[in-house]
Amino acid sequence: MGSAMRFSPSLAALMSAAAALVPDAHAQSTTAAETDARVSYRFNDYSEDAFSGAAIGDRDRYRVLSQQFQLATPVGADAALSVSATHEVMSGSSPWYVLADLQQRPLQVMSGATIQEHRNELRASWTQGTGSAGGTTYSASYSKERDYRALAAGIERSQPLGAAVTLGYGGSFSHDAIDPFEAAKYNRIDHASKNTASVFGSIAWIIDRSTVLQAGLQLNNEHGYLSDPYKLASVGHDVVADARPGRRDAVAALLRYRRAFAGPDAALHLDYRYAQDSWGVVSHTLEAAWYQTLPAHWEFVPALRYYSQQQARFYAPFYADIGDHNFVSSDYRLGTFGAVALSVNVRKRIGQWEFSGGVERYHAATGYAIGGADAPVPGVVSYTRAFIGLDYLLR
Amino acid sequence: MTTAPGRHAIHSYRFNAMGCPCELQLDAEAADAARAAAAAQAEVDRLDRKYSHYRDDSLVARIGAAADAGHAVEVDAETADLLDFAATLHAQSNGRFDVTAGALTKLWDLRASRVPDADALATALARTGWQRVEWRRPRLRLTLPGMRLDLGGVVKEYAADRAAQCCREAGVGHGVVDLGGDIAVVGAHRDGAPWLAGIKAPHDTGRAIAMIELLHGGLATSGDYERVMIVDGRRYSHIIDPVTGHPVESFASVSVVADSCLVAGAASTMGMLLGVDAGDEWLRGLGLPYLCVDAAGRTRGTLLR
Amino acid sequence: MAFVLGLGALAGCATTPVQPWERGRLARWDMRWDPDPLQAAMADHTHFSKEGSNGHVGAAGGGCGCN
Repeated sequence: MGSAMRFSPSLAALMSAAAALVPDAHAQSTTAAETDARVSYRFNDYSEDAFSGAAIGDRDRYRVLSQQFQLATPVGADAALSVSATHEVMSGSSPWYVLADLQQRPLQVMSGATIQEHRNELRASWTQGTGSAGGTTYSASYSKERDYRALAAGIERSQPLGAAVTLGYGGSFSHDAIDPFEAAKYNRIDHASKNTASVFGSIAWIIDRSTVLQAGLQLNNEHGYLSDPYKLASVGHDVVADARPGRRDAVAALLRYRRAFAGPDAALHLDYRYAQDSWGVVSHTLEAAWYQTLPAHWEFVPALRYYSQQQARFYAPFYADIGDHNFVSSDYRLGTFGAVALSVNVRKRIGQWEFSGGVERYHAATGYAIGGADAPVPGVVSYTRAFIGLDYLLR
Repeated sequence: MTTAPGRHAIHSYRFNAMGCPCELQLDAEAADAARAAAAAQAEVDRLDRKYSHYRDDSLVARIGAAADAGHAVEVDAETADLLDFAATLHAQSNGRFDVTAGALTKLWDLRASRVPDADALATALARTGWQRVEWRRPRLRLTLPGMRLDLGGVVKEYAADRAAQCCREAGVGHGVVDLGGDIAVVGAHRDGAPWLAGIKAPHDTGRAIAMIELLHGGLATSGDYERVMIVDGRRYSHIIDPVTGHPVESFASVSVVADSCLVAGAASTMGMLLGVDAGDEWLRGLGLPYLCVDAAGRTRGTLLR
Repeated sequence: MAFVLGLGALAGCATTPVQPWERGRLARWDMRWDPDPLQAAMADHTHFSKEGSNGHVGAAGGGCGCN
């Protein structure tokens, strides 16, 4: 009956005497983990809106087409293996640096559209202990692009603390190395690396038969070359390389709520995340999704996501002079802005096959940030992402 | 049986075996479900033929004939495992659960609607008792002529588990087996939802006193309100106490949930045999979720909040 | 005796502990933390590349030169 029941000596005697007659009885009493092996394919099309503000250069922004294959299978009675491969093709121009025009308004300079870049990633994980007594997952991944490599490994443990509480904790480590192309031509560094270490913990509660809640905390530390070698910042009349601190510490807190509604045969997902780091970036993320089951094995999932961040201390679209700025960056991703995303996903099952598809429309603007924004942040991006997916269940 | 819209179709198979109505509900494609149901039903029939104490050609009858002739019988592995289980039950219940009560149960023939006379009872009692059995695996000898095995408290529940296992082996992992109220889960629905089992109210069998969600394991119910004899205004249940020779005066029903229907059934029968207060106490100490309903419909136990 | 139904709607909720045999609804795919982990990973990766906060709780690292 799982770790929740205490076995009296009488019960232990009965169960052990019954074991020869019904050998699979205890093995059946695992929580409903995926018992089928599953092969999955996903195709994603990510397409950013063309740059709409004042700009110089190619306004067509990033487009990424990616394909993913995954195999996930139970191994024996108590373990599971998952292996996935991703291939991405990226093209389009990106924000390069920002100039101030004569009225001190920002003028975004775009990089030329690059040739198509490819990224390949391989990821594997092994879970030992798929039943109700908890388990440990070991994972590793390797990602490679022409100019970038990342190797990562992690461990995560899930431990029941009683009938209704589960503890989760773990850590991961990653080593990234970049060899920017055209380094000499653009006076970029020619090689750099960074290390990232992270630890996390979470507790999950079963509140009642239809409600679960999870709270988590994560600590992150990045150390090494954290600047973007392809970006520049405008300081007075000069244009200098993007220069960020060599260290970034972050803490994030997460709250996740899941609630089933029997009447409409649906479930509500609410997620909130708060993060802050040593660069001064503070963010809030709120996501809500409604999982609706429909007749004939259809699932329909509309979702809404709201994101808001406050800028890094050293961010500015451009700088009048170097002053006491040790660090400079005009990367919009460090600015103050907010984003609203609406998405709809659908899923349909036919026998052993599952078909899925969805669209996300994401719109970012400085005015969406909590507390509003004073400084302009040229370069905030809006995009459309669509995907289709195919899963096959092997029994 | 109800199927909510949007769910996969559930295939239902009904048949009679072991003296009760049986039903399989399987959540699978039609061809797979039919194949699994055939295998499961064949297994239940096999166990019915092998262990019935009503049939002359069953293994139980053969063991009885050997007892009369004073011989031992060499039994197969399945029977040996059942006898080991029975021995454990006898020890755990301080002798109240006894599979050698065949002579007694035959005497209390509910269809005859009469109470057996004292002499017949005394004779039958003298031919009852696991302590009068020589059981050295694989050889079994009932040491007195007239001794009979009655595996009634064990075989139906075992058959439910075996039927569920046959479904899984036939490739169907989602369904439920119901042998006259003894339930074994093949597996949760394909979308992960549980099966709902209703425990009937004792004197109003159209109404459920509780609904239990089952994802796996088994639910067994021992009760007197379906197989009962009423003579001169007194109720006599079909569960005979092997120590007194008389039907127990106990709860109207006891239901237990466990990892297997076999263990659930053994526990529910034990709860009945021990009587109202002792049974409740024993079940509480056992640790399995259980529900006892008395003749007035009052409930005790850990199955309901 | 006991009988079996196909499926029934569950009404109401309580704050007393949930017994193991009552966890059926929680085991359904739409009550998982991530019903579609591949999609969740892709969405997270996209957001992480375009925003200033890194990662999410519980993930093993793995970066990219996402611009």
